[in-house]
Amino acid sequence: MVNPIRNTGKSFNPAGRVTKKIPPTGKPPMIPDRRKVKYVLIGLGLIAIGIGIFFMFFQSEEKRVKKQFRLLSEGVSKETGENIFTMDQKIKKIGSLFNDTCDMAIPAHSLSGQMTREEITGYAARGRLHLAELQLTFHDFMIAFPQEGEARVRLTARLTGRTTTGEAINEAHEIDCLLKKTEKKWMFNRIEVIEVLKK
Amino acid sequence: MLLNRRVSQFFFPSLTPAFMIRAGCIALAAYLIFGHLLTPFWIKGNSMEPAYQNGEVNFCWKLRYLFSKPRRGDVVVIRFAGQRITLLKRVIALENEEVEFRNGRLLIDGKEQNEPYLCHPCNWTLPSRRVEPDSVYVVGDNRSGPMPNHVFGQTSLSRILGGPLW
Repeated sequence: MVNPIRNTGKSFNPAGRVTKKIPPTGKPPMIPDRRKVKYVLIGLGLIAIGIGIFFMFFQSEEKRVKKQFRLLSEGVSKETGENIFTMDQKIKKIGSLFNDTCDMAIPAHSLSGQMTREEITGYAARGRLHLAELQLTFHDFMIAFPQEGEARVRLTARLTGRTTTGEAINEAHEIDCLLKKTEKKWMFNRIEVIEVLKK
Repeated sequence: MLLNRRVSQFFFPSLTPAFMIRAGCIALAAYLIFGHLLTPFWIKGNSMEPAYQNGEVNFCWKLRYLFSKPRRGDVVVIRFAGQRITLLKRVIALENEEVEFRNGRLLIDGKEQNEPYLCHPCNWTLPSRRVEPDSVYVVGDNRSGPMPNHVFGQTSLSRILGGPLW
């Protein structure tokens, strides 16, 4: 005998699990608060990444000015056993950073007055001969643009290394520089060492 | 098992809002304290020996001269363009005082000064000079080297960042 299956109006639930019925409200399902926060955080993260990428690739004038100091630092620095080819490249690099003439006021290194690019490179080449190694680093940049095409930079320069006679070099100077924009390139026009301690 | 869970929780905490707030507060406090009040610095060089040795780490207490001016004998931190590179020197003369070195002896307004912090022999001779207003005259404790190689002189009070914590 076959008993017919009666339609009782209940869903099939062999384990007899208790399920809570949600009364229909007629509104669309809400996103839970936690998920909302997650989406906001992800959104903020993406915006932050976007801003970071923008600043990484966007070359502001300040960055261009700082780049000149980085190049000067690379040109002046000397490693042990530097060959003549590298030295020549570095001297050329230093020359390319200066205007045709540059006002210098560096009493500690007996440099003062207006110097031509050739004089500066010549001085740099002679100076390197007395040094076994040298590192020039720049810190605490304060960059201002007093007028179009002019950048005034106040910073701390640190020189470390040793001479060929083994004497250690450890100097720090506050420097005031004026750079002028020539053909879309910032060139050194004046370098002056500020006296922090006056004997 | 419990210890394991605690260790795991310590190194890999759950990123709950409470944890994030706590971490943020700690980061902010560290930034304010170590960035503006007690900035750490590393001594490079031996110009302040024997009081401060090369390679030592110390902190610059920025509020040291908030309500007072440096006094003779104080060790001060002097800034250059910013605060990343600084000098550590001892104040030996104050504004409007006459400072002079005679065969290694320090004279202020013509009177010889006792300097108990010195231990290296010194033979410096420097003609008398008056310290300008709002300035102090600073020198390192290690005066054993030749005078031209030593960084010293008068500096403006505005360049003094503070003093070392110890």
